[in-house]
Amino acid sequence: MSPRSTPRFVRLAAGLLCGLALVGGALAQTTTKIGFQAGLTGPAAADGNAGLAAAKLAVEQINGAGGLNGKKLELVVYDDQGKPEQAVPIANRMVGDGVRAVVSAGFSGPSRAAAPVFQKAKIPYIASIAFAPEITRTGNYMFRVTSVGEVQGRAAAKLVGEVLRKKRTVLLTIKTDFGKTLAAGFKEAAPKFGVQLLKEYEYAPSDRQFGPLIASIKADNPEVIYATGFYFTAGPLVAQLRSAGITADVVGAESLSSQQYIDIAGQAAEGTVITNVIDWGSQLPEIADFLKAYEKATNSKAEAAATSTHAAVTTLAAAIRKARSDEPEKIRAALETTEVMTAIGRISFNKLHEVKKSFPLSIVRNGKWERFGVIDDAALLAPPEQ
Amino acid sequence: MGAYETSILTLVAINVILALSLNLISGLCGQVSLGHAAFFGVGAYATALLAKAGFGLWLTLPLALLAAGVFGLVVGFCSLRVRDDFLAIATMAAGFLFLGVVRTSDALGGELGISQIPETALGDFFPYFVVLCAVAAGLFCAWVKKSWLGYAFEAVAADEIAARSLGIDTPRFKLAAFALGTALAGVAGCLYAYYLGTVGAEAFGFPVSVMILAMVVIGGMGSIWGCVLAATLLTLAPEWFRFINDYKLLVFGLLLFMVMRFVPGGLFPLVLRQAARLRGGRAA
Amino acid sequence: MSLFLNLSSQGLINGAVYALIAIGLAMVFGLLRILHIAHAGLFALGGYLGLVITNATGSFALGLVLSMALVAVCGVLMYRLCYEPILDQPPYVPLIASVGMFLAIEELLRLVFGDHGLSYHVPPLAGAIEVGSMRIKYAEIAVVVMACVLLGGLALFATRTRIGMAWRATVSEPRMAASCGVSLRQVRYLNFAIGSAFAAAAGVMVGVLNNLVEPSMGAVPSYKALAIIVLGGLGNMGGTLVAALLLGLVEAFGATYLSNYLDRDSIAFAAMLCVLLIRPEGLFSGPARATGGLAKTLQLKGAAKWVLTKRPS
Repeated sequence: MSPRSTPRFVRLAAGLLCGLALVGGALAQTTTKIGFQAGLTGPAAADGNAGLAAAKLAVEQINGAGGLNGKKLELVVYDDQGKPEQAVPIANRMVGDGVRAVVSAGFSGPSRAAAPVFQKAKIPYIASIAFAPEITRTGNYMFRVTSVGEVQGRAAAKLVGEVLRKKRTVLLTIKTDFGKTLAAGFKEAAPKFGVQLLKEYEYAPSDRQFGPLIASIKADNPEVIYATGFYFTAGPLVAQLRSAGITADVVGAESLSSQQYIDIAGQAAEGTVITNVIDWGSQLPEIADFLKAYEKATNSKAEAAATSTHAAVTTLAAAIRKARSDEPEKIRAALETTEVMTAIGRISFNKLHEVKKSFPLSIVRNGKWERFGVIDDAALLAPPEQ
Repeated sequence: MGAYETSILTLVAINVILALSLNLISGLCGQVSLGHAAFFGVGAYATALLAKAGFGLWLTLPLALLAAGVFGLVVGFCSLRVRDDFLAIATMAAGFLFLGVVRTSDALGGELGISQIPETALGDFFPYFVVLCAVAAGLFCAWVKKSWLGYAFEAVAADEIAARSLGIDTPRFKLAAFALGTALAGVAGCLYAYYLGTVGAEAFGFPVSVMILAMVVIGGMGSIWGCVLAATLLTLAPEWFRFINDYKLLVFGLLLFMVMRFVPGGLFPLVLRQAARLRGGRAA
Repeated sequence: MSLFLNLSSQGLINGAVYALIAIGLAMVFGLLRILHIAHAGLFALGGYLGLVITNATGSFALGLVLSMALVAVCGVLMYRLCYEPILDQPPYVPLIASVGMFLAIEELLRLVFGDHGLSYHVPPLAGAIEVGSMRIKYAEIAVVVMACVLLGGLALFATRTRIGMAWRATVSEPRMAASCGVSLRQVRYLNFAIGSAFAAAAGVMVGVLNNLVEPSMGAVPSYKALAIIVLGGLGNMGGTLVAALLLGLVEAFGATYLSNYLDRDSIAFAAMLCVLLIRPEGLFSGPARATGGLAKTLQLKGAAKWVLTKRPS
């Protein structure tokens, strides 16, 4: 064969290969895959499914407006069942699927287990409801759009001391990492606002009957009860509190933000104030449109898990737009400097990739959550830096 | 092999070791234990604490084994005092107590558990090391089954009173079964802690104990290959059932029930029977 | 003092709920020596049915009665389809089958009614009365009264009717009873029906007390009920009742004073293990004299005392 001219079939093959590569490359890049991890079955199912609905809404919105950088977003959904040991295989699977970034609406346990996998694979990971501190400490590809427990606790202390102007407080802490960090934050900030801590009681997540606790609280006679917990503990708790004749104000965290809490506690829920992520009654389109769309799509009112997840997706989208690419490394760099208006308000990240935002306050009036104010103290609410 | 496949392989191997360990206690020796996940947990927590204190795999593995074995001896002692019917509930109680203590103790991580457990020095070889351990566990169980120890275990399982009348010191052998089985579970716990990088109380609760017992029973009490088969099936099932994600647990519950209802001897003996029938059908 | 009274009343109320659940479990164990873990699934099912029927029809009485009836039927079906065919298998077989069924029931409830749980539109038995410095809800009084009525009724039934006698005979000596013409199967149906109906009643009342039914509401009571029947002597009705009340009390005080050392749910098992180490047969498998004395100390009257001193054996 003469050295100068390559045989016809070789040229044909080369041409075919190039063509295939181009087409294949193009096909591979028609959508930007975003991984989505949540507990869709098991103990985390309520939050996981709410988060999924919100994420789907966000993706629809973004794709409806033309996608990002010319490509549509595609959500690749995996169920971690609320268990850490399920989270690791699905994390590996997502990496294999070629996701560009991952949003997690899963609990702390599974998210914490999955985080190292994504850090190793250098894929940005945004947690929307998991607040275990180790997640952001795992590495620089980790981000979180929900405030860690300590920050929420501090906001609550300011709420009690300055907004409600009450002093004598009893802590009712749920024995999970969530409850304990909330309590820690509250205790740390309480002296600054003149809040006096009478006593702290702890209860297990499976408790629904609080008789002994309530008997003791009645003896303490507080002005305010800071009740951490979820709707299925705080709901019965508050109902039983009022039945026992305790009239103290009830203050809670965003975990009470669902309509379910009001349904369970009924009349007893009136007047409960919480530090929330949802600014009910806000006129801003990012917030009001989401709340309406969510209620239309799911037939139930939005709560914190859904709203935070929606915000995670919109933040990710903003970063992808800013980076003008869907390379994971570029997304990560863009996320670090992104400041965007989302369904939970204006957010940005600090050095540790923890979220900086203000806390809207909500109150139960006439069987619904309503706006009560906002806590906006940047110094007080500064998230941890390490 | 992709990262996903190796992580599944590791999980399967760990579950195989767990099933084999309970098989020693419940399958071979007939002591129905409903709290086995607690010993799994003892091994995992021991490893977590030691690994974070800087000890390497070569030290944490034997220590986890010892810790779980000792705890198993203690529970075994208690089990000696109670009747057959009570044993299941007593072991269940031991499981809950372990969880209760762990949950309230801040030194053991409390509700949060312990995380950021450092990786082993084996790095990428770790999954294959786990498989090696599973194979070793299988060989060990096979050896026990064939030995005089296994013979005594089976005698105790079949009829405790008759065994005693033969001169077999049943309490001692029951204790031995407990110690061996729980020590092996401790090994599984150690490997699990390294695999996941975190240990939390929810991974060692009653439902997990039931799962392990289900593996032993579905595979066939006492059968080693049965345990391996059942452990593999029950670990891979959630992966295969992904497409009916929502109904996964329902299917699992129904499956457990159906196997018990229709094939209570276990799947592996069924397979063996069918194979024998196919082979020697005409002759019979 | 008022704290003590409060805690005691809370303990007794919880104890009444536990008693309703545990009795059904004890009945099944006494008769068949099966650990009927799916019983907790029937408890949850009862809670859901009661709530759904009440919300749909507006009548709580209807909800309660229908729920008990329907769950009784489910219990009988469970026995007929699930347990009867495997009665001759080693005990771990029905145990795991039961666990499988429990899982399936929980998941079905979650799939049909949703993850979030349901609440009463109009909480029944609302309101409370003041007794000294305590406020006791009507619902709480109702629970205790219901427990007394149902359990007292069971005791009367067991001791005063022919069917009850047949039931007791079957519990102690099934083959003798069969040869005397007692239909074993009918007795077992009855056993499951009554036990399941009681569990349903407990489920409905817990739903009212918390104004919440969730798919996983059966998990914790099932574990505690197991501890209770062990404490009560595995199959001894009176013992189970007392153990249930005692556990309610111990939990109420323990949750307040021991919460730094032990989970509230573990208290049941810690207590059980302590008792087993001292008395491996359970608290109440001894002669009737002991329980009679206990009844006097607790100043129980009427049907409850009768249940304690007259044991079905």
